[in-house]
Amino acid sequence: MTAARPVAKRSLLRVFFRSLFIQAAWNPRGMQNLGFASAMAPALADLHPDRKARIAAARRHLELFNCHPYAAAAIVGGAVRLEEEVASGGATSQDVSMFKSSLASPFAALGDGFFWLALRPAAALLAALAQPYLGLFCVALFLGVYDSIHLGVRGWLFATGYQKGAAILEILSRAHIPAATRGLKMGAAILAGALAARGVLLAAEPHRPGNGVLVAVVIVAGVVFLPRVGLPVALYAALALGLALGGGFL
Amino acid sequence: MALRRRARLACRAVFPPGGLAHLFVAGVVAALVAGVAAVERKGALQLMLSRPLVLGPLLGWALGDAQGGLVIGIPLELLFLGGVNLGGSLPDNETLLAGAMTTAAVLAGEARGTGVDPPLAALALLSLFPLALVGRHLERRTEDRNDALFELAFARVERDPDPFPINLRGLVLPFVATAVICFAAAFFSPILAAARSSCSLPVASALTGSWHAVWALAAATAIRAVRDRRAPLFALASFAATLVAALLLSGRP
Repeated sequence: MTAARPVAKRSLLRVFFRSLFIQAAWNPRGMQNLGFASAMAPALADLHPDRKARIAAARRHLELFNCHPYAAAAIVGGAVRLEEEVASGGATSQDVSMFKSSLASPFAALGDGFFWLALRPAAALLAALAQPYLGLFCVALFLGVYDSIHLGVRGWLFATGYQKGAAILEILSRAHIPAATRGLKMGAAILAGALAARGVLLAAEPHRPGNGVLVAVVIVAGVVFLPRVGLPVALYAALALGLALGGGFL
Repeated sequence: MALRRRARLACRAVFPPGGLAHLFVAGVVAALVAGVAAVERKGALQLMLSRPLVLGPLLGWALGDAQGGLVIGIPLELLFLGGVNLGGSLPDNETLLAGAMTTAAVLAGEARGTGVDPPLAALALLSLFPLALVGRHLERRTEDRNDALFELAFARVERDPDPFPINLRGLVLPFVATAVICFAAAFFSPILAAARSSCSLPVASALTGSWHAVWALAAATAIRAVRDRRAPLFALASFAATLVAALLLSGRP
């Protein structure tokens, strides 16, 4: 076993930058494999001056991989660390594959839950609710809230994955992500309720309570029936209902 | 600001709104902006620039009416808030719909000189919503075609162990598909403008009602988008509290 040869900082930055394109060529057979192999390439070039070893490493990163695109940053960082150990003889190529395949699913679940199902709805609803007061600046609010957290977390995941390798799982388990997800979801639900109420109040103005009732009925029917009928049917039904009953809106 | 206004007036003099040259230039602008957004949606960065809430005003601004883009962007954002790309499942393509709808509605509003009003937005959604489903189908086809890129990368790994250029080729199809459709949407705008102009007052009123119904459905979708069994309860409590607060503040019984 030889001393671990670290990847140059510039290469690490290139790995991180390329990890932002991890889904560019998402395909059903390998899923994010092309993106993952692309991200790893600058690090592999540093670690394996021998061309044969580099090709073998590139080939093993073309194996199937699928994760949440943001959370994948932690696995990319950890894989770079493990590749350093492979290059120095401290780990085997199977260790890298095992690391990737064992973390992909739990990290995907964590990322989907936090970013797609909690942070994005909460940020979008906050912006929608703030629109009458902020006008076009509500767009900046949405991007500011979402991307400051998203980019911060993505960078932190990559750096921590690289520094801690397989120990990233333990660090994430102490990061209270499920609690933060629950909090954001409840916040989003509260904002959604307020937004629905604003829709009713706007429709009821001026002195048209019937229109407010119509909007409230559509909201309740939407919440109850949406999962059963799907968005296209619900949307055209709402449009038709509005056309049929909305004669007094102007 | 004065410079921008002068530039806009000069543009209008060269390309009068509604004319073929104007539609062509606007179509190219829409194609570029929406094409980049389509790439950003899944393949690159994912900074949420492709979300309707951002793309609507951004594209509207590029076409001369950011506020009109916002009128469309917010309800579309809420309607598609629950659409999530989990594993191999694909949601409806909100970016394609937002791009095409903003292009058509903003240009139609500009041609009429009224901007994007609720009846125009409702007409645009009524006629263009299927694009969200078409977009999902196109995305699936694109992913199937990416299998060939995977095979190419595997075949070439001996010669070039860095597949980054091949990976980036996966961004081409989403860009082209969205750009072409949004370019075409610019030429749909005169039809939309004519349809809106032909609306009598009762029809326009009914379409306004439709737009309110869309907003209501968007609020319902937003509540559903929070996938937690306690979410409807929290939303209901907040709904009631907001109504009560508004009624108290307005001094009504």
